[in-house]
Amino acid sequence: MGSHGVPRYKIAEKSPEARQQELQKIEKYRDLERSVSEKVAEHDYTADTLKQISELLTSNPEYYTIWNYRRQVLRHQFTQAGDSAEGDAVDSITELIKNDLLFLIPLLRSFPKCYWIWNYRLWLLDEARRLLPLPEARQIWQEEFALVGKMLTLDSRNFHGWGYRRFVVETLKQLGTADEATELTQKEFEYAKKMIGANLSNFSAWHYRTKVIQRLLDEKSASDEERKKLLDDELALIHRALIDPYDQSVWFYHQNLMCVFDPTTAGRTMAPRLSAPDRLQYLRQEIDAIQEMIDGAEDCKYIYQALIDCTLLVAKVQGSLPHADRDQILSWLSELKRLDPLRHGRWLDFERTL
Amino acid sequence: MSLVSGPGRAGGSPSDQELHTLKHVAYIQNLDTVRAPSRDDELEYWLTEHLRLNGVYWGLTALYILGHPDALPRAETIEFVLSCQHDNGGFGAAPGHDAHMLYTVSAVQVLVTVDAVDELDKRGRGGKQKVGSFIASLQDRETGCFMGDEWGESDTRFLYGALNALSLLGLMDLVDVPKAVEYIQSCENFDGAYGIRPGTESHSGQVFTCVAALAIAGRLDLVNKDRLGAWLSERQLEDGGLNGRPEKLVDACYTWWVGSSLAMIDRLHWIDGRKLAAFVLQCQLGALQIDRETW
Repeated sequence: MGSHGVPRYKIAEKSPEARQQELQKIEKYRDLERSVSEKVAEHDYTADTLKQISELLTSNPEYYTIWNYRRQVLRHQFTQAGDSAEGDAVDSITELIKNDLLFLIPLLRSFPKCYWIWNYRLWLLDEARRLLPLPEARQIWQEEFALVGKMLTLDSRNFHGWGYRRFVVETLKQLGTADEATELTQKEFEYAKKMIGANLSNFSAWHYRTKVIQRLLDEKSASDEERKKLLDDELALIHRALIDPYDQSVWFYHQNLMCVFDPTTAGRTMAPRLSAPDRLQYLRQEIDAIQEMIDGAEDCKYIYQALIDCTLLVAKVQGSLPHADRDQILSWLSELKRLDPLRHGRWLDFERTL
Repeated sequence: MSLVSGPGRAGGSPSDQELHTLKHVAYIQNLDTVRAPSRDDELEYWLTEHLRLNGVYWGLTALYILGHPDALPRAETIEFVLSCQHDNGGFGAAPGHDAHMLYTVSAVQVLVTVDAVDELDKRGRGGKQKVGSFIASLQDRETGCFMGDEWGESDTRFLYGALNALSLLGLMDLVDVPKAVEYIQSCENFDGAYGIRPGTESHSGQVFTCVAALAIAGRLDLVNKDRLGAWLSERQLEDGGLNGRPEKLVDACYTWWVGSSLAMIDRLHWIDGRKLAAFVLQCQLGALQIDRETW
């Protein structure tokens, strides 16, 4: 949307020439708009109409009604193409879809946060699936997969891009064999790792990783042993990432991993069936590891928050909070109150629950 | 909301840290697109037509909060809203624009604000029942979620909008509320926050849509308030502003998404309201609002 990140300053007095130019632009834009609306109202779904629609959308991709007009024209062209001989029909529809996908690329590059463009693109890809034989449809979706990677390289936190990637991957899995699906999940696992490696602060990539891990294990029907092995790998990874303990993204991934040891959430995590003694052992190891991080990072509030969370989880697993642990929590809490005045109200509320 | 100091009451801050109420009112009036538009010689005016009805809602709501509810003309406002309605009951962004959930919600909100829902009946457009049936027709009865329009984009923004408008019209019984609630639950992540669809990253805009929808459905009991409150409170950065996700930049818009979500779960005191208010006031630029960073 126009406002975000675009400073809106009062427009300086325009020169008569600039004013004249702007009025001409308005006239041109409105003429185009009028022409498109008239043609669509008359069901004049020709190549010429499509060209005008492209022009209008290029000057204003937020104009959602025009995207709907574009769908109407395309649907009409698909039907027409479908009337020709079978092989020709597939070729024509494929070409129509590919051309339209190409038209969208520069728009997505210029307006990567415009919902309407992403949405239209998905519609187009779904049309490919609806209208084309499996091999042709699959090829179009595979080419799409390459594009999603590029978009995320341009902005690695774009949530449209990540959501879209997930969708493309899921569809490709449905269009392929079970083995291909597992292979794809494995690739996505590596992809998330690569994106995290490029920037540890990228929580979008960490989040994606949590979801891919679940799918990977489920698709492999992984044993409890395999699950535990992957959990160990993830804990090792997060400890390496926590070399910078001031990064919130990394701590949220840590919080996510700790859900494995929480009896109320464990069932929905990568290792749902750990025994209570196992959970306690993991948690105690975590507490030790995090305590070692304090040295040299005494002012890092996330460390104290994680220590408190892990200690409370120990209490949850064993069913009681020993006095010594409670005292520990209180001392970490006093650090938080000192280091984190913005959230003072939260720490006071927490203190009352102890 | 107790976060802001209220109209003209900046509470002892330095003079450049006051809310310039009258300038904001004038700014909104200048954007007035309801009457004969004063800005139709600007290209920007024509390029933003797809936001017209939303704009009326934003402007009108801001005027009510600023204590100047009559700054936009009531009769023309109603006239404009109704001119955006289609035969199917839905509303488009402006006359001639296709019907869509986003604008239908704004239309209902504006009509309720100026107490004119009965105008829907008077103009022979099938009344509020017709509007309600348009919204209800967009629910996916399998998943419980809502689409934006007939073309199928579906996510929690539309789900929230649907419940908002239907509750304002007293027509919640037209849709499957328990299914909608189930869908929201499927968007919850382990951090207690919500994504735009199941499996997607938590985002404070989506936290607002999900929590507000649960509030309307009377199911805030399903929210993990401490967990979510913690995540939301971590959105506040040192300069007092709020961001939308971990390790992102602050932006004035998140004041609303995060602040209202915290308020709904009784955790507004988990952030520093004074620092946030100071941040927001700094975002004023003369008569214009300015967002400081990208989201």
